[in-house]
Amino acid sequence: MVYLLAAPLVGGLLVGWDRRISARMQSRQGPPIFQPFYDVFKLCKKENIVVRRSQNYYVALFLVFVIFTGGLFFAGSDLLLVIFALTLAAIFLVLGAYKASSPFSFIGAERELIQMMAYEPMVLLTAIGMYMVTKSFQVGDIAGYHGVPLVFLLPGIFLGFLYTLEIKFRKSPFDLSSSHHAHQELVRGLTTEFSGRTLAMIEIAHWYELVFLLGWVYLFFASMPILGVAVSLLVFVLVIFVDNVFARLKWQAAIRSAWAVAAVLGFGNILILSLLR
Amino acid sequence: MFGLKQSPWVIHYDASSCNGCDIETLACLTPGFDVERLGVLNTGDPKHADIFLVTGAANEQSHAVIRNIYDQMPEPKVVVAIGACACTGGIFRECYNISGGVDTVIPVDVFVPGCAARPEAIIDGVVQALAALMDRRKAMKALGKNVDQVLYSRAESADAARILSLQKTAHQQEGTIYGEEHVPGLVQTLPALEVELTQRVFIKATVNGRLVGVARGYAQDRTGFISDVIVHPYFHRCGVGRRLLEELEKALPDMNRFEASIGDKCVESAAWLQRQGYELYKTDSWRPAIARVYFQKERK
Amino acid sequence: MMMTLIPLLILVPLVAGLAMLLIRNDHVRRVIVTILVLAIGAASVLLVVAPDAISFTITAVSDHSINLAMNLTEAAMAIFVLYVGVHSRRPLIAVLMAVQAGLMAWFEYGSGSHPEVSQNLLPATDHFSVIMALINGIVGGGICLYALGYMKEYHEVAHTDVTDRRPTFFALLFVFVGAMFGLVFSNNLTWLFFFWEITTLCSYLLIGYTRTEESRRNAQRALMMNLLGGVAFAAAIVYLSRNACPLDLQGLIDSAKSGGSSKALVLLPAALLCFAGITKSAQLPFSSWLLGAMVAPTPVSALLHSSTMVKAGVYLVLRMAPVITETKVGMLVALVGAVTFLVGSLAAITAADAKRVLAWSTVANLGLIVLCGGIGTYAAVWAGVLLIIFHAVAKCLLFLCVGLVEHKIHSRNIDAMSGLIVRMPAVAVMMLIGMAGMFLAPFGMLISKYAVLMAVVDAAPVLSVFIVFGSSATLFFWVKWMGKLVEVVGTPERVRNEFTLGEGLAVGVLSMATFLACLLFPMISSHMIVPYVTGVFGEHAASLTQGNIIIMMIMMAMVMLFPLSFIRYGRGPQSRGRLPERRQRRRQGSIPRFGRQGRKHDDEQLLHARVAQ
Repeated sequence: MVYLLAAPLVGGLLVGWDRRISARMQSRQGPPIFQPFYDVFKLCKKENIVVRRSQNYYVALFLVFVIFTGGLFFAGSDLLLVIFALTLAAIFLVLGAYKASSPFSFIGAERELIQMMAYEPMVLLTAIGMYMVTKSFQVGDIAGYHGVPLVFLLPGIFLGFLYTLEIKFRKSPFDLSSSHHAHQELVRGLTTEFSGRTLAMIEIAHWYELVFLLGWVYLFFASMPILGVAVSLLVFVLVIFVDNVFARLKWQAAIRSAWAVAAVLGFGNILILSLLR
Repeated sequence: MFGLKQSPWVIHYDASSCNGCDIETLACLTPGFDVERLGVLNTGDPKHADIFLVTGAANEQSHAVIRNIYDQMPEPKVVVAIGACACTGGIFRECYNISGGVDTVIPVDVFVPGCAARPEAIIDGVVQALAALMDRRKAMKALGKNVDQVLYSRAESADAARILSLQKTAHQQEGTIYGEEHVPGLVQTLPALEVELTQRVFIKATVNGRLVGVARGYAQDRTGFISDVIVHPYFHRCGVGRRLLEELEKALPDMNRFEASIGDKCVESAAWLQRQGYELYKTDSWRPAIARVYFQKERK
Repeated sequence: MMMTLIPLLILVPLVAGLAMLLIRNDHVRRVIVTILVLAIGAASVLLVVAPDAISFTITAVSDHSINLAMNLTEAAMAIFVLYVGVHSRRPLIAVLMAVQAGLMAWFEYGSGSHPEVSQNLLPATDHFSVIMALINGIVGGGICLYALGYMKEYHEVAHTDVTDRRPTFFALLFVFVGAMFGLVFSNNLTWLFFFWEITTLCSYLLIGYTRTEESRRNAQRALMMNLLGGVAFAAAIVYLSRNACPLDLQGLIDSAKSGGSSKALVLLPAALLCFAGITKSAQLPFSSWLLGAMVAPTPVSALLHSSTMVKAGVYLVLRMAPVITETKVGMLVALVGAVTFLVGSLAAITAADAKRVLAWSTVANLGLIVLCGGIGTYAAVWAGVLLIIFHAVAKCLLFLCVGLVEHKIHSRNIDAMSGLIVRMPAVAVMMLIGMAGMFLAPFGMLISKYAVLMAVVDAAPVLSVFIVFGSSATLFFWVKWMGKLVEVVGTPERVRNEFTLGEGLAVGVLSMATFLACLLFPMISSHMIVPYVTGVFGEHAASLTQGNIIIMMIMMAMVMLFPLSFIRYGRGPQSRGRLPERRQRRRQGSIPRFGRQGRKHDDEQLLHARVAQ
C-alpha cells in the first residue's frame, strides 16, 4: 500500500532529480525538481488525440500491470512472477504502439521488443542467481537473507543488472524505442501517437518502474539496509552519468552487448556459483 | 492552472526560414539560455507539443505541413511566429510563392519580431504564449462542460436581435481592416435582418440557450452560397464553426458545389475555409479598393 | 479378450479410417466424420469420468491372434517402405527399414523365447495416458471436423491443381487418431512400437499428400529420420529381450526404481528409446523434417506435426524420465532439449512464413519438454506434462487459424496479416487467444515455463541459461506477430464468411479449451498430473505454491479485461448495430468533444482532422 501511494511521489522526484543532475552535467541550470509533476499535470489537461481508440486501453493496462508488478515485488512475492508481470506490462505498451498504426510507433514498438529481448535474459539470470544463493525466489526471503550481502556472491550478476538498468531507465545509449534524443529519426518512437492523459500514464508507469527497479538493486545489499539504500541511489546517479557520457548506440549493438553481458557476467557468475556448491 | 504554465513543450518548424531564426531558437536550449529552467522541452512530436514555434514565411510548399502539424497538436495549443518573415512574410512578402506570414495559414497567438529574432525575444514570446495557452484552456474548459449541449438548429425570426448583436461582435476585426461602412454585417439593420431571416437559411449554435454562432446561406442554380459563418470569439477554434458550416451544407441539399466569398485581407478566415476543404478559385473587386476572394467546394 | 473403452478407442478409428477409403460422397463423409468425431470426443471424456462404463468380452479374439495381426501389418508396412526406398532411389530409407525389420524379425522369431508381457494395455487409471488420450480425442476430433471444410476449400478454391484424394486423406487421419490412442495406451513395448510405426507411415503419406516434388522430398526426409528413431526403438526392444528385462513400460520403470544392476541394465534401452523420442519430436539435429512437413495441408500440420504425433516422442521421453534421471543419459537428453529450445526460438524469429514460425516454435517447445524429461525430477516431469497439455491446444488452435487466414488472404506471410483484427475479427481474436496461451504471463505455457525454470534451476542451473535466452527470443516473435494482428493501416475491408461451421466449431472449441486449460489448470494439476507424477516418484512435492497460483489467477482476471478493447473497437464506425442518433453523429465527427474522450486522428485525414469521440 505504501508503495502504491509513495512510489509515484518518490519516482517523480527521482526523475526531477535526474533531469537536474543531467542539466548540471551539461553545465545548465535545469528545471525545478518538481518538473515531472508539472509535466504530468499538464498532460492530464491536454486533449487526447488518438489514431485508434483502443490504443489508450493498452496503455492503461500497461500502467495497471506495472503497478501490479511493483506491488508484487514489495509484497515480497515470487521474483519470477514479478518478472513475468513486468514483461506482460511491457507487452501491452508495445501492442498499444502497434495499435497506433503509424510508421514511427511501429519502429518504436519493434525497437522496444528488441530491447526487451536484450534485457530479459539478464533480468531472469538475476533472479536465478539470487535464488541460488538464498534458496528462495520469494522477494521476502531474499530481503530477509542473513549472510554476506548478495552482491559479494553475485558480482557479475550485479554488474549485468546495472547494464540492463540503463535500458530499463530509458537512458540515452539504449533509449532506442522512444528516442529522447533522436527527434528526426523516429519522432518519439513508441510514444509518438500518444498524447494527453495517455502520455501521462506512460510517464507515471515509468515512475513506478523506477522505484521498483531501485528496490531490486537494494536486494543485492539486503542484509545491510543503510548501505543498500545508499547504493541504490548511487546506482541511479551512475546510470545518469553513463547516460551523459555515452552518445548513441545502434540497436544491433544494444542487443549484442546486452546478450554478451548476460552470457559472460550473468552466466559466468552462475557457473561459478554452481561449481562452488 | 497548475502544471500548464510550468511545462510548455514546444515543437519547432522551419517554414522557409533562412535558418537565422532557427539557430536563435535552438540557442534558447543551450546552456547559455537554458529554457528547460522554465520547463520548456523541445519535442519533435506535434502530439506532445503545446506551443508551435514557426520560423520563416509561409510558402506554397510549407502550407500543408504547417496545417498538418497544427492539426495534430492537441488542444490547448498556441502558435508563436518567430521572426519578421513568420510574422508578415518579411522581405519575401511579395514573392510569387509566399502567402505572407504564418497567420495566413493558421491562427497565430504571439508574434516575435526581429531579423533574426533574439533568443531573449523568443523566450519572452514563449512566456507570452503561456498566457494565451491559459486563455485557450479556460475557453476549452468553459466549452468542454457545455459542448454536449451545443445545439445546432434553424434560426427563427425571434432570434434576429441576438443574431444582430453577435454579428456586430464577430465582425469587429473586419471592421477595423476595411472600415465599418464596408462590412455588411456591421451595417445591417434589424428589419433588414428579419427580412433576410425569411429568405435565407440560418443555422444557429446555442450553448445553454445562449447564441454562440450563426451560419447563413442560400441556394441558387444548384450552388450553395455561404454568406457567412460567425462564432463568438470566446468559442473560436472549438469546432463550432466547422460544425455550423457542415450543418448549413446539409441544410442546402441537392447542391453541386458551394461557394463562399470573403474580403481579401481576411487571411484567417481564408485559412479557415481552406481547412474546411474550400479552394480558392477567383478574385474580383467588389467595391472600389476592396477586393474579394471566392472559394468553392464540390460536393462529394 | 476384454473390451473396455480403451481398445474401442483404438479400434473404432482404425476401422473407420479404412472405411473412409470407400466413401466418395461429400455429404456422406461429412455426416460420418461428424458422428465419429463426436463419438471419439465423448469417449475420451468418458475415459476420465467413468473409465469402466463400457465393458464386454469378445472370446473369439485372443492376444495371440492380435499379435499375429500386428506382425502381418508390420511386415506389410516394411515391404511398402522398402518399396518406397527403392522406387525413389533413397537407399538410406531402404537400409534403415531393412535393419529395423531384421531386428524385429530376429526378436520375434530368431531369438527364442522373450519375456511375456502380462498387461498389453495401460489401465485407464494411468493419468498420463489419459491426458494424452484426451488431447488426442478432443484436438484430433476437432481437426477432423475442421478438415472437412478446409479440404473442400483446399481442393475447390485454393489448390485446384492438386489431385483430390480426400478419401485417402480422411482415412489416414482416422487411422492416425486410432494409432495415437494405441500408442499412448500401450504398455507392451512391441505394441507401442507397432503404433509408433503406423504414425510414422501416416506422417509420410500425409506430408506427401499433394504429390509435388517438394512434398515428396520432404516426406522422404521425414520418413528417413523417423526410421532412424525406429531402428533405435527396435534395438531397444531386442536388447531388452536379450537381457531378459521386462518388455513393458511399467516393468521398465519398476526395474529402474529398484536400483542396482537392473537400473544399469535398462539404462541403455532407455537411452535408445529417448533417441527414438528425440527423432520423433524433431529435436536437433533432426529438426529439419518437421520444417519440411509444413508443406502438408494445415490440418495435417496441426494434428500430426504440432499437437499429437510429435508429442508421442516427448511422451516417451517423459515416460523414461524416472529411468534416466540423474544419469549421464538424462543430462545429455536435457542438453539436447535445452539447445533445441534456444535454437528453435531464435530460428523462429528469422522466419516470416507463419507456418514456419509455428513449426520452429513447436520444435522449441518440444525441446523444453525433452529438457524436463532429461532432468526427470518430480517438478520437471510435472512441468513437462503441463507443457504438453497447453502446447497441444494452443499450438493446434494457431495452426488452424493460420490455415483459415491463408485461404482468405492467400498468404501465410506474417506481414500480410497486418490488420487482421479488422479483416477477420473472429479468427484474429482466436489467434490472439492462442498466442496468449503460448507465451503471455498468466496463461498456460508461461505457467509451465515458470515451473520448468524452477525445476531446472534446482537440478541443473547451467541449463537455465538456455531457457532464459530462449524465452526472450520467443517473446520477441510472438509479440511482433500479435502486433501485426492488431495494427490497422488504412481502412482494410472485412473478409466475408471467415469460416465454415465445422471450421468455426473446431477453432471455437480449441479456443475454449485453451482458455479453460488456463483457468482450470490448478484442477488439472491436482486431479491428473499430480497423481501421475506422485505415482511415478512415490512422493509428493509442491511445484507451485498456493500463493503463486492465486497471484496468477489475479493476473488472469486482469488480462481478461483485455478483450474489452475489442468490444469497444468493434463498435467503431464499421459497426452495423444501430446507435442512438446523437452518438452516431459524434462518431462521424460532427459533434466536437474535448478532454476525456479524446479526438480521433485518421492517418489519411490529418489535413481534415476531425473532432470525434
